[in-house]
Amino acid sequence: MFRGAFSIWGRDMRVLRRSLFSELLAVIAYPLTLYLAFGIGLKGYIADVEGVPYALFIAPGLISMTAVNAAFDESAWSMWFHRRVQHTIEEYRVNPITVYDIVIGKIFSGFCQGAIKGVAVAAVIFLMTPFRFPFPHLLAYLFFIILGSMIFSCLGTICGTTIDKPENIGRVQAVVIVPLIFMAGIFFPLSSYPAAILPAIRVLPTTAIFEGARQALLKGGIEGGYAAILIATAAVSFVLAVWIFNKKIEE
Amino acid sequence: MRRPYIVQILMTPAIVLHGITKTYGALTAVDDFSLEVERGAIFALLGPNGAGKTTLIRVLTTLLRPTAGDAMVEGRSVLTEGREVRRLIGVVPQENNLDRYLTARENLVLHARMHGMRPAEYNRVIDELLELTGLGGRQHDFPDTYSGGMQRRLVVARALVHHPRVLFLDEPTTGLDPQSRRAVWDYIQTLRARMTIFLTTHYMDEADTLCDRIVIMDHGRPLVDGSAAQLKEALAHSHLYEVEVRRDADRYETVLRGLPFVESAERSGNLFRLALTGEEALKPLMDAIGSADIRKICLREPSLEDVFIELTGKKVRE
Repeated sequence: MFRGAFSIWGRDMRVLRRSLFSELLAVIAYPLTLYLAFGIGLKGYIADVEGVPYALFIAPGLISMTAVNAAFDESAWSMWFHRRVQHTIEEYRVNPITVYDIVIGKIFSGFCQGAIKGVAVAAVIFLMTPFRFPFPHLLAYLFFIILGSMIFSCLGTICGTTIDKPENIGRVQAVVIVPLIFMAGIFFPLSSYPAAILPAIRVLPTTAIFEGARQALLKGGIEGGYAAILIATAAVSFVLAVWIFNKKIEE
Repeated sequence: MRRPYIVQILMTPAIVLHGITKTYGALTAVDDFSLEVERGAIFALLGPNGAGKTTLIRVLTTLLRPTAGDAMVEGRSVLTEGREVRRLIGVVPQENNLDRYLTARENLVLHARMHGMRPAEYNRVIDELLELTGLGGRQHDFPDTYSGGMQRRLVVARALVHHPRVLFLDEPTTGLDPQSRRAVWDYIQTLRARMTIFLTTHYMDEADTLCDRIVIMDHGRPLVDGSAAQLKEALAHSHLYEVEVRRDADRYETVLRGLPFVESAERSGNLFRLALTGEEALKPLMDAIGSADIRKICLREPSLEDVFIELTGKKVRE
């Protein structure tokens, strides 16, 4: 059971281990720059956001953003590369494993990459800045990060499965993923939105990931509404990713 | 009396195709194709580009579901027992689909793991295969640093890690230099006793020399089926001759093309390959061209390529 998924996941982790240092260096640079630019650069202009110091307000979102972006990148590009460039998906498919093994292995790899890179960014922000949080809150925070990484890993798998031109994966990231992430209030409170569109923003899965994670880390506890949205989105995106991969492979 | 299962298996052909059809919209890639390949044979499927060879291999290796019909590999249906079929087959695809982020050895280990092999079992097999394919000294290098021939040998080695009973090779030597082609073929020949080999190739000399049985297909259907000798024998009535002249080849070409008993004339420098209407045309041919400038005239045995061209035509396919 899931022998193939485990083998594929093991392969991806082996490859990650080989280039771990350069991968982490690249992945840490971006959120750390944002943290320094916004958290420290704007500190003099934005004192508190809803009672929370601005540097503290944006830190959970940056960590979550790193995790979900890494999950999406790994799943999308890895699936595309194995399918369109190396054709290793075909090699996997002539082995006695199922298509579910392949897609589950790839989703789990994306999720692990997201989790590892998120932890790395969290560690660096923790070590290099005054950002602190109560440790008992970490468990609730991880709940959101794990589900968020899983969702973005499934979305990446869907993109890597259905998109043939690499530039179109970049376009999806630029036009869909990045706006969804930024709209979720990483750098500003949701209360900034006009009241008319706030209900729509609140039901976005990215809002559930970032706002839910921030509340979990800074205040503790899991908000039921956000948790329900995330669990439902994770379930739907997982089923969709598996179904679409299966369909595409049959073509 | 009912025979034991193992006897039944040994008596059944390694590969059976029952009316396989595969369509892509309006295009019929394979059309009601039926075939049996006996156990332990080296079988070649020949055909021009787009004939349906790769589609058939993809159906047999469970990568494609046929639109109609079924195929059995070692008694297992590709439709309903795909996973079991994949356990029994090794596949060498047209392209070297090696993982360039894994070393040669790691490529083989990943394959073994997906077949559920344990390290104690696969490490020994991988050591043997790497030695046999001459890659032992480079096993910790990445495939990108290999030559085309070495990559091909690694793909063949990977297909053999789990001891398959049927090996599918889709144009295994395309793009290789003569030395690498020979090395791949020498290795494949050593497998003859252990498994059934089903291959497609564009190299007629390979099929002629190495295969027990050949099917030439076109437009998704089989055209002829037999050993290389049988297929050539079927074309022996074609009366093929070679005539070489010492000089004035242009003039002789005009003469030859004007003779009513010359069905076709191909020129290569001073050498003409002629297809005559019959043996009785030889004397009028000699009368027409005389003997003053003739350097050589001889009967030409048809090659497998002649058979192939005769059946599938000379027109280049897209």
